[in-house]
Amino acid sequence: MNLITTHELAVYAGETQLLQPMSLTLSAGERLTILGQTGSGKSLLAQAIMGNLPSSLRCTGQVELFGETVEERFRPALWGNKLSLLPQEPWNALSPLMKVGNQLVETYRWVAGQKKAQAQANAEQVLTDYGLASSDHKRVDELSGGMAQRVAIACAMAGGAPVLLADEPTKGLDVSRRDQVVQLLLKQSDQGALVTITHDVAVARQIGGRVMVMKQGVLVEDGQAEEVLNTPQHPYTQSLIEADPVRWPKGSETHFAEQGDALIQVNQLAIGRGNTILVSDLNFTVHTGEVIGVVGDSGCGKSTLGDTLLNLTPAMAGRVERFSSADQYRWQKLYQDPTAAVSHAVSLRTLLMDMVSLHKVDTDRIEPLMARLGLDDDLLNRTASQISGGELQRFCMLRVLLLDPVFLFADEPTSRLDPITTREVSQLLVDAAKEQGCAVMLVSHDPALIEKRCDRVIQLTT
Amino acid sequence: MRALLLKRGLQLIAVAWGVGTLTFLLMRALPGDMAYRIAAGRYGMDATDTTSADIVRAELGLDQSAIAAYGQWFIDLLSLNLGRSLVSGSLVIDELWHMLGHSVSLAIAGSILSLFIAVPIGLASAWKGGWLDRLVLSVSTAMRALPVFVIGLLMIILFALEWQLLPVAGYDTAFHLILPALTLGLSMAAVSARVVHVEAKRVFGSTFYEFARTKGLTHVQAFRRHGVRNIAVPVVAFFGIQLITMIEGVVMIESLFSWPGIGHGLVHAIFSRDIPVIQGAALMMGILFVVMNTLVDIACYYLDPRGGQLQ
Repeated sequence: MNLITTHELAVYAGETQLLQPMSLTLSAGERLTILGQTGSGKSLLAQAIMGNLPSSLRCTGQVELFGETVEERFRPALWGNKLSLLPQEPWNALSPLMKVGNQLVETYRWVAGQKKAQAQANAEQVLTDYGLASSDHKRVDELSGGMAQRVAIACAMAGGAPVLLADEPTKGLDVSRRDQVVQLLLKQSDQGALVTITHDVAVARQIGGRVMVMKQGVLVEDGQAEEVLNTPQHPYTQSLIEADPVRWPKGSETHFAEQGDALIQVNQLAIGRGNTILVSDLNFTVHTGEVIGVVGDSGCGKSTLGDTLLNLTPAMAGRVERFSSADQYRWQKLYQDPTAAVSHAVSLRTLLMDMVSLHKVDTDRIEPLMARLGLDDDLLNRTASQISGGELQRFCMLRVLLLDPVFLFADEPTSRLDPITTREVSQLLVDAAKEQGCAVMLVSHDPALIEKRCDRVIQLTT
Repeated sequence: MRALLLKRGLQLIAVAWGVGTLTFLLMRALPGDMAYRIAAGRYGMDATDTTSADIVRAELGLDQSAIAAYGQWFIDLLSLNLGRSLVSGSLVIDELWHMLGHSVSLAIAGSILSLFIAVPIGLASAWKGGWLDRLVLSVSTAMRALPVFVIGLLMIILFALEWQLLPVAGYDTAFHLILPALTLGLSMAAVSARVVHVEAKRVFGSTFYEFARTKGLTHVQAFRRHGVRNIAVPVVAFFGIQLITMIEGVVMIESLFSWPGIGHGLVHAIFSRDIPVIQGAALMMGILFVVMNTLVDIACYYLDPRGGQLQ
């Protein structure tokens, strides 16, 4: 029996077509991966099937679930028991004030209709299986992204729905967590159907089954995973696959560590927040023109290391010695989430010009740098909310690079970007280091990216 | 928690001193001879002349310098002695205690009414949106724009004079509480209905609320388990901000409805320059304000422990 069948399912905002009419079928035990960059309409397809599109959007076509056509307004009755959606950004998907254990218990209790004791026993069992036994009594703000995602998967599956739609389930997770999450999804979808939406080619490979590649609401390629991913026909698919860090060409082999002057020397450094020490006994030297990768599990103190080197957080013990007397503003940081690092109240031009006049930057340098960063002058007239995350991150880089930094701590600058943009942004960072003689520390959860972009790596372990 | 209580204790002392000193200065700055005013308060306007004013002056030692009077008040305050009323001669603390009961019952009744008005209206306008939202917004804006005594007057005109359902003013029966409490409740609900509306919209539109629904909870379950508490946090915090509106409203409403609470007492004491009562009443309001804010902070902490520690 077909679990999902769509006939000419399309999504419109007013008269603008956001998703071209799509027809697909999926039967029990089948897996479908929808691959594409952000803004390609992948999430809309999942929401259109689920029946929870924002009220400003309009949906045409038909959705058949379990062999029957179900109108959009009747689909909520199927949620949880028949049809479930694993949303993006698990941190925002879990209720902020309720302990995560209770969020799972309530699903067994009220959705699966189990008795209280049994619901509790089930929830406990699943959390233990997922390696979350000690997180039962925590709230979501006390969990890492990977832990929150596992809880969200458990909640989405607790109602026993045979059809699971997973929207970017691995966004922002490091590789080991990503593989764990994919394994969980595969295990859960043994009997039912799994629709995964992702921009990560590696995830599509692991899940297998069918792959549909989408670009701006249009289906560009469709077929079995091995076929599409190994011999892509459409140029867009090819560029997506090429953008996977594993396939990037290795940068120059020169080790600047031996050429540049020492910039920062760290001796027996211990870093931490509040009264908690996260990492101790750090010893390393940063040289000008060098790109150093920083890796480690989430929550192990990567951001804290940056803040300590930048003098934003006091060191818990040990010494950070600077061999440059450059002004404090030339020791810079690039933030993980650009939307949180930029004011949304005024235009980007105002933000840029404020900085230019404060630090007396030569305005002739702006235009060529913007061209290199692929930023249109037109963009500066908009506010931060009106441009994409990738564009905003490149704007942040523009601001930082105009200040001629001597040291730049880039804290997961690409984790919210799609692979094509990631490749460009990370290459620019490396170029900046080499050309401006700036030392760059690059934090990333993607080992392939670190390997391809960095001269050497610092591994943080607690 | 201990740090919070300690900090609030210090604030309480600062507020007590500040309010007392400020009222003292303001009373001294009022025009007219204080002795005449007090005599008028005691014996009535007609019986007030130079002789009776002089008697009052001599009896109460009004000749002493401002600094001496202030010093005396301050020493008395340190020994928790609020003094005696210049008009009635009874202990200020007894008078205040009597008035406090009336004020508190009015404030509580008004706050509860405001919640019963604001919560359903705010939720309904967030849920339904459209014309209901616009209607509620217009009414709220109009209500907020009206001074509270105008709302009170409208209540009197409608319920007491036109329809003759409720007494105009006074405090004999429980019915006398209805109009003042309703006036206070309406003026508070004008703003808090909008706060409930905005917060409910935020929660209903949030990813976690949507996930609660897509994982299978019904509307009612999702609202009860994930809506109420998340909406309540900012609404309770806003209630703390609204306390100032409430105390302001209580003064106005008590005068308008002759409700014998602290606000009413304060206004009368100002007319007759009964300084100990004025200072006592102002002090009591200041203390109430700090205490209630502390209660709101504690409630917020238990509703939303994410802040970690109370500050």
